[in-house]
Amino acid sequence: MVTTSKVAMNYISQLCCCLIKVEEKESGMAAGHLTKVLFSVKHSGLQSRLFGTAAVAQTDQVENDSTALGNKILTQPLNHPDYFRLSELFSLKDLFEARVHLGHKRGCRHRLMEPYLFGCRLEQDIIDLDQTVEHLQQALNFTAHVAYRGGVILFISRRRQFCHLVEKMAQECGEYAHTRYWQGGLLTNAPVLYGPGVRLPDLIVFISTLNNVFQQHVAIQDAAKMNIPTVGVVDSNCNPSLITYPIPGNDDTPSSVELYCKLFKMTINRAKDKRRQMDLLQSLATPNL
Amino acid sequence: MAALCKVVRSVSRRGYVGVFARRPDAFCKTLYSTTDSGESAGESEKEVASSAAEKPKTGFAAAFDLHSDLKQKQDQTTGEVRPSAAKEKKSFAYMLRHSPLMQMGPAKDKIAVGKIFHIVGDDLYIDFGAKFHCVCKRPSVDGEKYQRGSRVRLRLVDLELSSRFLGANTDTTLLEADAVLLGLIESRDAQPKV
Repeated sequence: MVTTSKVAMNYISQLCCCLIKVEEKESGMAAGHLTKVLFSVKHSGLQSRLFGTAAVAQTDQVENDSTALGNKILTQPLNHPDYFRLSELFSLKDLFEARVHLGHKRGCRHRLMEPYLFGCRLEQDIIDLDQTVEHLQQALNFTAHVAYRGGVILFISRRRQFCHLVEKMAQECGEYAHTRYWQGGLLTNAPVLYGPGVRLPDLIVFISTLNNVFQQHVAIQDAAKMNIPTVGVVDSNCNPSLITYPIPGNDDTPSSVELYCKLFKMTINRAKDKRRQMDLLQSLATPNL
Repeated sequence: MAALCKVVRSVSRRGYVGVFARRPDAFCKTLYSTTDSGESAGESEKEVASSAAEKPKTGFAAAFDLHSDLKQKQDQTTGEVRPSAAKEKKSFAYMLRHSPLMQMGPAKDKIAVGKIFHIVGDDLYIDFGAKFHCVCKRPSVDGEKYQRGSRVRLRLVDLELSSRFLGANTDTTLLEADAVLLGLIESRDAQPKV
């Protein structure tokens, strides 16, 4: 257990409680998440990743004043079901025209995807877009909340056809992407591979959950081990079980992948802009001495 | 982009040669569905983005549709807001039922229009509106005319090349469709349709 100051502990626990409220619906990993957040602390004042160093003591005073007001920024979005108005970003017609409803052949079907399928037409599975709309709405909402709170989002896709698109999209929204070969312990052995005190992503978004040999991407189980919530587009041949917010949909056609990229980019930018706006309002309302 | 892909029912079945002689905008506006829902008999010609009509409309019905479309466009440009049939929310089941993919039936021996989106040497990657693209060899006749953005005619064989191999739990898929390249439709310089 990492030793931190009392005030910082208070701030962190409140942050955790808010995050847990959002996530608890899907996964009951409250305790594990608390441990993970304590392991990698981010202060609002300093941008450095650190714990248990001298710099922590200095920022205590600033934390004390801003905690009460900072709370409102963090808790207010949680009271609305669709705070960022993401339902206006897409419609069922957009999904249909982007061919999101097309699945693989019946022989490729994963048994756990059967609840998300509308039916099978001439051996081709059709994904139920009514369910997709709901799942996509929830996934985008969660992504927006994570981005609003300054969370690190990692996009993963092992499809070579779309690797450049995903990387470009991640760059445009100021987040991260990993579209190359996934080394064994990137998440589970991060302090050894990257150095001590590294911050792990707060959300992992899979544009395609399979790797190049049609097996589930290693990062899905690694993220579950590290208590990192995942959002993923699951096609009819994918396993949706370990993914926190699955989005049943086509992940093979360029038009549908471009649609997902566009939606995620708009969501994250919207959430970040909203956060900047709220911070600005707060700084205007309470001028610092 | 998907609007560019039209599927024209194989001509050899009924010998409806006249369909190619029609004007292009009539070609686009009218939509034919299969006369028998189960069988693939009868002519079908579809466009992905346009609204569905169950039977070919002729005479006053066609003129009325054309006039109401034009009036809608005019209203939209003048900024007038009025509820119209086209803006009604269609359910997923309705859109699926009337989509070209469903109306087409089995993909075997259907003629489709595709667009080349990538070229690697002699391999042309052609997207025709289905889940996967198809890869065809550049033909020896008029080889240089096949560039990125060219529209071509294809005879579809399969929408997804996948098969169950011995000892496997699931099908192995190639993530590709299979089609035979028939020829070019028009040059790359033609204006794209919405």
